[in-house]
Amino acid sequence: MQLLINGLIAGSLAALIAAGLALVYGVLGVFNLALGQIVLVGGYATWWFCQVAGLPLFLGIPAGLVTGGLVAWLTFILFVKPFYKHHRFLPLVTTIALSMILDGLILLLFQERPRSILPGMKETMLLFGGRVSSEQLVLIAFTLVILFGFAYLFHSTAVGRRIRAVVQHDHAAMSLGINAPSLHTLIFVLSGVFAAAGGIFIGIDQNLTPTLAFPITIKAYAAIIAGGKGNFWGAIVCAYLIALLEQVVVGIHWFGVFYIPAGYQQTVALLFIIVFLLLKPTGIFGSVSRSA
Amino acid sequence: MKYVQLFSGVLVLALLTACKPTGSIKVGFIGPLTGDAATFGTDTLHGVQLKIEEVNAAGGIGGRMIELVAEDGRCAGGDAANAAQKLVAVDKVVVIVGGDCSGETLAAAPIAEAGGVVMISPLSSSPDVAQAGDFIFRDYPNDLLKAKAVAQFFAEEGISKVAIITENVDFTVAFRDALKKDVPEGALVFDEVVDPGTKDYRSLMTRLQDMEFDAFFANGTSTATIGAMMQQLREQGFTQTAMTHDAGQDKSVIDIGGEAVAGLYAINVPSVNEDSPFGQKVAERFGGTQAGMAFVSHSYDAMGVLAEAMQAVGTEGTAIRDYLYNLSSYSGIVGNFSFDENGDVIGIPLVLWQVQSGAYVKVKDIAVN
Repeated sequence: MQLLINGLIAGSLAALIAAGLALVYGVLGVFNLALGQIVLVGGYATWWFCQVAGLPLFLGIPAGLVTGGLVAWLTFILFVKPFYKHHRFLPLVTTIALSMILDGLILLLFQERPRSILPGMKETMLLFGGRVSSEQLVLIAFTLVILFGFAYLFHSTAVGRRIRAVVQHDHAAMSLGINAPSLHTLIFVLSGVFAAAGGIFIGIDQNLTPTLAFPITIKAYAAIIAGGKGNFWGAIVCAYLIALLEQVVVGIHWFGVFYIPAGYQQTVALLFIIVFLLLKPTGIFGSVSRSA
Repeated sequence: MKYVQLFSGVLVLALLTACKPTGSIKVGFIGPLTGDAATFGTDTLHGVQLKIEEVNAAGGIGGRMIELVAEDGRCAGGDAANAAQKLVAVDKVVVIVGGDCSGETLAAAPIAEAGGVVMISPLSSSPDVAQAGDFIFRDYPNDLLKAKAVAQFFAEEGISKVAIITENVDFTVAFRDALKKDVPEGALVFDEVVDPGTKDYRSLMTRLQDMEFDAFFANGTSTATIGAMMQQLREQGFTQTAMTHDAGQDKSVIDIGGEAVAGLYAINVPSVNEDSPFGQKVAERFGGTQAGMAFVSHSYDAMGVLAEAMQAVGTEGTAIRDYLYNLSSYSGIVGNFSFDENGDVIGIPLVLWQVQSGAYVKVKDIAVN
């Protein structure tokens, strides 16, 4: 049970970030390699609002989310928009450049030492035989609320219908009077907000260090590829799945004989994805890929 | 013919400048200026800078100013090797202070050795550094001593079952291996090595639930990981004695860990108080430390002993090396020390520290038998 809770905690974090990535990739077909840095920006901004500016948590978190969205918006305007129509691989290069710039800026602004939004120990309680803190419960719930909120927006509102239309065919949607370019911006900003939420999650549950960004990006990509590229819900499910796998790999006494050394935690989880993709290259939830 | 004259003219000029060393003396620095270990790197760089500024203000080395060339080793062997290559071959530094992480020092050592450049590490504690080369010194105690001191502490406290989580880098792995030899057979009842930078230890802590252990050792290499280990250990309700080493004796562990690190022991070198004259000097010049005074003071002393050597015997590598081996005692901020035949420091004791009401407090000196 404890492993399940651990997986849920780690999975919620991964899901938030993968969701943002899947959205951008699914709609724009653009790889954003500065995503991990936007995660950190969101986390560090919240840390700053709460620990330095002294705002209470319920104000600091929205402020952090807004900052994440703002940085994502700037990213889109400056580093993606001028390029992605020419070739969808161009933003790959520009966002790598941005990721380096942001890495440097984060180091300059927030220094090397680790930062925690909620320092100290969290009170834990026993729940179904597992230990979990109230903060972690809130974080898990918060993630679900965000994801379900988005599901509602996506499937039951006019905006969602437009987004789905743009996903299916950009130009056709435009010819029907949907303002696709502004939807692209909206989606990019949304992914930034998701990412910032992930950063706040890390800052509350663990601590923020300037070097976290790249590993975060890699894991999010693993989730969207395993989930079937461009498949929003597939990416989220896979993010949870990979996180759970990572916990189970080291937490279980395999066949009652041995433990897998903790150093192989990530390797084994990613190996699983490779094996899976060998068997089903379109991803767990991928349909037969569309050729344009 | 004209060209020959011109060429020989240039050659004579070059020879003249080579024979009569003027201008500044270049000193290299290698340490992690970015990355998870950057708090240590920044502090050690500050120590070197401070010493150089003082030496230069007092007239330099025989009238020549010291010029610092700092390179980022990123706490990684590859980066440190590149840094050493640049310092030795391009900048032609006379001596190097660094690296900080043992992985840096071990990778940079062969290059410094081949170039005949004396290198003093202010921070590397891996046992392997002792054998890294003739030109390689350190003013920081070998981990073998630290592991012995920890084993001794466990024996005194009647701790016979130890759970240890190790972050997979040179320094921590070497420490674990040394500790394994010094404690009784089978005393490490839980012994896991995790990827560098791991911050989710929950499932490992879950496994601890089914075990019996008297003490937990947080063998991480950065304050971020050690802080996270301690938080997750205490959040799972474990109340056992917990201990860490140099990397965790850092105020940011307390900032992150809060109550989770209350009572945490740390085995480390002696440190200078923040309120001491030296601590005030550091606060004035750099606005305090990133990680702790121990880092600033050891690099300050490393640069200090190098400056003394250069004052005495000049800037030739072998002369500096021999001076250091024959040194009877250097009186530094961290204490009076000298070097043994491996270039390891003699004279720096080990100290047991404990977090008490939000700060590291010295418990006692540990004399290793």
